Amino acid sequence: MRNPGLSRSQLLEIHRFICLNRMVEDRLSALYRQGQIHGGLYSSLGQEGISVGTAYALAPEDLLAAMIRNIGSLLVRGVAPLTLFLQFLARGDSPTGGKDGTLHFDDLEKSLIGPISVLGTLIPVMTGAALAARMRGEDRVALTYIGDGGTSTGDFHEGLNLAAVLNLPLILVVENNGYAYSTPTHRQFAVESLAERGPAYGIASETVDGTDVLAVYAATRRAVERGRQGGGPTLVECRAFRRRGHAEHDDMRYVPKALLQAWEKRDPLDRLEEFLLDEGHATKKELRAVREGIGPSLDEAVRTALERPYPPPEETLRDVYHETE
Amino acid sequence: MLARDRKSQGVGPRTVSSSVRPATDATRVPDDASLLKMLYYMKLTRALETRIERKLYRQGKIVGGVYVGRGQEAISVGAAMHMRRGGGEDHDDIVSPSHRDMAVFLMQGVPPEKILAQYMGRKTGLTRGRDGNMHMGDLRHRLIAFVSHLGDSIPVAAGCALTFRMHGTDQVSFCFFGEGATSRGDWHEGLNFAAVLQLPVVFICNNNQYAYSTHVSRQMKVERVSDRARGYGMPGESKDGNDVLVVYDAIGRAVERARHGEGPTLLEFLTFRMTGHSAHDDAGYVPKVLFAEWERKDPIRRCEDDLKGRRLLDAGAVQAMESRIEGELDEAVAWAEAQPYPSPEECLTGVYHEQA
Repeated sequence: MRNPGLSRSQLLEIHRFICLNRMVEDRLSALYRQGQIHGGLYSSLGQEGISVGTAYALAPEDLLAAMIRNIGSLLVRGVAPLTLFLQFLARGDSPTGGKDGTLHFDDLEKSLIGPISVLGTLIPVMTGAALAARMRGEDRVALTYIGDGGTSTGDFHEGLNLAAVLNLPLILVVENNGYAYSTPTHRQFAVESLAERGPAYGIASETVDGTDVLAVYAATRRAVERGRQGGGPTLVECRAFRRRGHAEHDDMRYVPKALLQAWEKRDPLDRLEEFLLDEGHATKKELRAVREGIGPSLDEAVRTALERPYPPPEETLRDVYHETE
Repeated sequence: MLARDRKSQGVGPRTVSSSVRPATDATRVPDDASLLKMLYYMKLTRALETRIERKLYRQGKIVGGVYVGRGQEAISVGAAMHMRRGGGEDHDDIVSPSHRDMAVFLMQGVPPEKILAQYMGRKTGLTRGRDGNMHMGDLRHRLIAFVSHLGDSIPVAAGCALTFRMHGTDQVSFCFFGEGATSRGDWHEGLNFAAVLQLPVVFICNNNQYAYSTHVSRQMKVERVSDRARGYGMPGESKDGNDVLVVYDAIGRAVERARHGEGPTLLEFLTFRMTGHSAHDDAGYVPKVLFAEWERKDPIRRCEDDLKGRRLLDAGAVQAMESRIEGELDEAVAWAEAQPYPSPEECLTGVYHEQA
């Protein structure tokens, strides 16, 4: 791993976000097993460096659309863990008022655009968001994510092509995590690397190690600079591995054990901590203190969220359809 | 804003004239009879479409729109020469033409009078008067009906090729579309699917530089449609679409690959739409100079000159071929005009599946 010019405090902040990402998801996993979560739960274990590294490379006003495995992106953008727990527990004062689950929410004040469950469809939306920003004369890039499976959808093609033709500052982060539900990548595309799709649209592209948060950050910075300077869209393929099932209910018996073990050795958090220790940015004790500091605050947030009420039945239809005054 | 962006990228209207390769690029030249056949079908297509677009349509005899392939005939003809036919269901190739590939219909065995009856909404047209123009197909001639939503026929063609794979035959699926359709999601899904499964499809793009009024520079940021092939892991080539020998050669190689289980190919043929998007469109948005430039590259005259150079025909023979075609079409038009319209009570038959 190489430091792309980040200060010690920035490196430690990135470390803290990866810890937070993992620890929030650990608690969500426990809540799921207790039957407290409404709906599905999609883990980003092993991919946290992608969410954190990309979101960290953006300015606060840049448009960001997380997908279901990008809880880390939301944490970097300032979404509180309590908000996330309320959302997953479907409580009345969660972002969707208990009407939707998982990360299916937005926060336009934080320049966060909500994910669309239908994979690929968010790409033309973000192309449109980037176009709107340009028409308003705003200097904002737009970043969103897609998995290896989502690259086979028509919307991926239409959104990326339009962004290329209009030279929009769209950054498409392709999280190649080896499997689209149970479909391995060799049944998904016939190219070696999804970065080969870049030249097919006439746009810049590169592949980075998605378990190296600093490499992800550096690649995203390059894409952001390109976008801001009028260089158009960038496709960044981040290679990592989905170390849990597609969702919490999936035991992923279709994934060879050896493959899983190989990727466990390339854990993004372990790798970053090793780097911080080797480069003398932190001691083991300091790194442990980060986790010990986060733990109690998350336990407190979970307790608080569990005490909040569900929405009353009469709220069911409110905010579902547009309401006129 | 947008105009400025394009200017700053230096991608104003561009032409393909400087980079198309000469006819000598063709390595496989068909025999004399095939050469004459290609010229005949290009001329027949041009003459038939001219009658439909410039006579019958203006006489108010056509029901619905008219979309012709004037200037693009070499692509359909050069490709159709490689379609295997006449050997039954487990032998014949299958074709998904675009709306500018009338030659494919003719060469697959649909007679001109049936096409004319189709355009006039008659009972004996391929859709029996229920749909118009190129919205037709006929599985007896291995022609998949054109899907009006551009791009939708690409996954269909890939699906046909999957059937061949499952049946273990060496049949090939031919799939035609324009450069505008390449921006469609279905196009992406179909090509990717064919690439992953290494299906025997030949993807044939007639890049005529305008999708209705949208110039190709507003359609894609890449120079060539074939630049997209690499993104799917399939071979791609861009060739002169106004040289029937070049088309014949390129398609021949792609068909051979497909038959031998080597997967799909994306072929782009550079050409020009020598008319409006359809008969009602005056193409006022196309710079006149482009029409003049491409008129000089007319595929039919080029083929004719080539055949004269090979001493396969002289001016007299050309004239004889043309009068034969005009005579055939006179008869075809007369036959079609004498055909009845469908009766109102049969409006719904053949629209939905009917159980025996």
